[in-house]
Amino acid sequence: MDGFLASPAGVLVITVAQTLALLVPVLIAVAYLTWAERKVLAAIQLRKGPNVVGPFGLLQPFADAIKMLMKETVIPSGANRLLFIMAPMLTFLLAMVAWAVIPVQDGWAIADINVGILYLFAISSLGVYGIIIAGWASNSKYAFLGALRSAAQMVSYEVSIGFVIVTVLLCVGSLNLTQIVRAQESVWFFIPLFPMFVIFFISALAETNRAPFDLPEGESELVAGFFVEYSSMSFALFFLGEYANMILMSALATILFLGGWLPPINAEPFTWIPGFVWFALKVALCLFVFIWARATFPRYRYDQLMRLGWKVFLPFSLFWLVLTAGVLKLTGWLPA
Amino acid sequence: MAWTLALPELVLALCGLAILLIGVLPKRDTFFPMAMAVTGSLLLAAVLVLGQQEGVALNGLYVADSFSSFMKVLALIGAALGLLLALDYNTRERLNRFEYPVLVLFATLGMMVMISANDLMSVYLGLELLSLPLYVMAAFDRDAGRSAEAGLKYFVLGALASGLLLYGASLVYGFAGTTNFDRLAAAFAAQEGVSPGVVVGLVFVMAGLAFKISAVPFHMWTPDVYEGAPTPVTAFFAAAPKVAALALLARVLLGPFADLAAQWQQVVVLISIASMLLGAFAAIGQRNLKRLMAYSSIGHVGYALMGLAVVSDVGLRGLIVYIAIYVFMNIGAFAVLVAMRRSGRAVEQVEDLAGLGRTDPAMALWMAVFMFSMAGIPPLAGFFGKLYVFLAAVQGGYWTLAVIGVLTSVVAAYYYLRIVKVMYFDQPPEAALERAPPSLSVVMATTGLFNLAFCLFPAPMLAAAGIAAAALLG
Amino acid sequence: MIAAAAFYLFAAILIASAVMVVTARNPVHSVLFLILAFFNAAALFLIAGAEFLAMILVIVYVGAVAVLFLFVVMMLDIDFARLREGFQRYAPIGAIVGGILFLELVLVLGAWTFADQAEALRIAPTPPSPVTNTEALGLLLYTDYIYLFQAAGLILLVAMIGAIVLTLRGRPAMRRQNIAVQIARSGSVAAEKVPVGAGIRELGIRRPPPPEETRRLAEPAHGEADHGERH
Repeated sequence: MDGFLASPAGVLVITVAQTLALLVPVLIAVAYLTWAERKVLAAIQLRKGPNVVGPFGLLQPFADAIKMLMKETVIPSGANRLLFIMAPMLTFLLAMVAWAVIPVQDGWAIADINVGILYLFAISSLGVYGIIIAGWASNSKYAFLGALRSAAQMVSYEVSIGFVIVTVLLCVGSLNLTQIVRAQESVWFFIPLFPMFVIFFISALAETNRAPFDLPEGESELVAGFFVEYSSMSFALFFLGEYANMILMSALATILFLGGWLPPINAEPFTWIPGFVWFALKVALCLFVFIWARATFPRYRYDQLMRLGWKVFLPFSLFWLVLTAGVLKLTGWLPA
Repeated sequence: MAWTLALPELVLALCGLAILLIGVLPKRDTFFPMAMAVTGSLLLAAVLVLGQQEGVALNGLYVADSFSSFMKVLALIGAALGLLLALDYNTRERLNRFEYPVLVLFATLGMMVMISANDLMSVYLGLELLSLPLYVMAAFDRDAGRSAEAGLKYFVLGALASGLLLYGASLVYGFAGTTNFDRLAAAFAAQEGVSPGVVVGLVFVMAGLAFKISAVPFHMWTPDVYEGAPTPVTAFFAAAPKVAALALLARVLLGPFADLAAQWQQVVVLISIASMLLGAFAAIGQRNLKRLMAYSSIGHVGYALMGLAVVSDVGLRGLIVYIAIYVFMNIGAFAVLVAMRRSGRAVEQVEDLAGLGRTDPAMALWMAVFMFSMAGIPPLAGFFGKLYVFLAAVQGGYWTLAVIGVLTSVVAAYYYLRIVKVMYFDQPPEAALERAPPSLSVVMATTGLFNLAFCLFPAPMLAAAGIAAAALLG
Repeated sequence: MIAAAAFYLFAAILIASAVMVVTARNPVHSVLFLILAFFNAAALFLIAGAEFLAMILVIVYVGAVAVLFLFVVMMLDIDFARLREGFQRYAPIGAIVGGILFLELVLVLGAWTFADQAEALRIAPTPPSPVTNTEALGLLLYTDYIYLFQAAGLILLVAMIGAIVLTLRGRPAMRRQNIAVQIARSGSVAAEKVPVGAGIRELGIRRPPPPEETRRLAEPAHGEADHGERH
């Protein structure tokens, strides 16, 4: 048996099993995130939310999925067929592929690579392609405008996310995600780097096109933005991709700032709970804030969004990066 | 690592950053104070260059010797004078944005990096640091179609030239295993014969550099860019960058590729002859002064290259003296071009100079001095410049080069003297040219006096050029 | 064996997509093929063990540069017929130039020999293995090559200045948002208590006062003469 597991075929089998073990919970989480969002929004707006299908409406996501599957896939006559179909697949695929390097517990990453954080950054910077291709291939002006807005928005906010990540890297001295979490054993980074945590979180909202930065799909001016022409499963893939990205960004925030799988206090009752549960709880907390923000803030205007990204976040994160480097150097805390 | 050796560059870069930061803050126009600050920084850098020690630093990427000091001081003076030409013009043409002097400063920094390059990578980065500001400056009058076209044309062709240079540099690296000049020289000295890869690479590197000095097969962009760019920008193009590019060409050919002289000498001879011929004949029919000056500068580069083609210390000294004199003639002539205005509008045709001898005798006198000097008429400085390169060619036995040089000077004298004739013997039109503003008059007088007085005191410059040449040839 | 197979696979796709970049009829497809080419180049880097370069290639070129390319290409109104006409006219010349360059390369590569001392002449040998290649790059870039690194930084700065100089236009007539003033403003929106149950018939239709009256009322109220958003 050991011999088989060491052979190339065995490695393949193990990897597939690991992937399934990670992606199935993620997909279920995506399904219940849509449910949780509707419930939380409803609670904030003094409504009940979905409560008909199953107890507490718990089967609602599955009902929605079946409804989506039964619908007809419509491809507009002027659309570029190949790209039109590829775009939602790309979005969904990228949202899934990124999970390969996420360590949900010490040593529980499918690929514990040296440049894990760069890999995540690279994958998340590709997310824009699904949207921009969808907007262009639809051959519709609303979709196209949504796509252009989104391209500009994502590229702008990636810059400040990059600086935030570099600041964390300065404190860790490694690009490996497991190392980043281990470096937080004494103190989680959101305490010393609180301003960067805030910037990261807001940029993550913009990066995932969530309210109050959901301009690419602004209903009032763009009908529904880049996916206005999509229906059925192709629409569902965008939908799943968006929510999977939210979870991914929350996982990233957890790893970079909230100590990953580490318990809040390294003492008896807390250490009984396994690390991946802590990880999931922290991700859930971030997701709750995502939804909370959606319920609370009105949508930004486009020029305000750009101004915030380039004139506020970029200089501030740059300043904080230099400050962090200076403090680390002067105090001698710079990791070897 | 003796990074302090590169102090002039560091100080200039820091000055540039500070000026950029200060200039951008106030809401009002800061062109004039920033231009003054940049001029001051350039002069400060020149002083630092004069006090610089010699040696190789920064991991072998940077070299400082007498040659680099001479050329850097020349480039810095050329840049400072070029910036002075822009003071009045840019204000009147509403080009008075403070970024102009900042771009001049960074371009000059690029020249210094080029002159001090001791590695093909420094060469490339210096060249780009010089070129990018030049592209932007060519298009500085962004609302004028001509200027935008000049910028775009220069950018596209410049990018092509950079590509050629990089292609060549990568071939050289591939075959020699290093990009450092000293190690390249050692590698070629140790090697039996020459591999064709290195020769192809060398030719591509030369092509890239020839583009920058607008030597003949790569000169096509020159007239259009010179004509389209705002006149002070043209003046800047024609002076300081040529110094840097020629210095770089000399350093590359006589440093790492000295042992391959047999390979590149023929190429330099051909480029030199072709440039002299084109510079002499293509300018004859020109009525636009800026285009005429473009062809004239191509010709001058041909003469200067003659000094390189003979591969001797006398020849190199000739090149150094020639380019120094060229800078002062050219800046002076362009000062006159920049000053040419009729009823508030800049004019640039040869006919516009008609009757200048009567309407503005001082400006006409200086223009005549520059034209005679460019034509190489004794006892003006231009004559000595030509004299030293011709002497070197004759001493080295390159009779063809020398004869062609003399003949093309005679042909070129025709169009220089035609300008003098137009100024003194043609009827002035109803509206005379406006008086030159003081900043331009000062530049004209300074450079004019240099051209006049050079015959009296040639010794210091000759001595300095001799030391510089000796430093490069080792 | 797998590494070699992967290398040939990625290299083949790289070359094929590079060819498609040039030959694709639709410029948007060209850019998408360019992205595919970048990806395969990144994969080749990975095979060579240069994981940092691979990721940076994807982040910088695919994540930022190609997005902007795509942006521009999608917005441009390109006349494909004219583009192709030019292509056909210049294709022979291009082919001749390309052929000459290719022949030269063949000649050159036929005589390929590294210099004898190439190994010894290297200025910056790769550090020994426990150093990850991210660290190795940093060790070289910020020490031995700091001069070039800073020069490259200045070049980028100049490019930025150039872009601003050539495109930024101050528009005096443009209305600017002054966020501080906007947030500090009070009194422009007021809640008003109306009697419960009273309709339009009782209250009449409330209209905002005409603009000149607003200004007269508003200015003494909070003393801001030049609100950007009201001019």
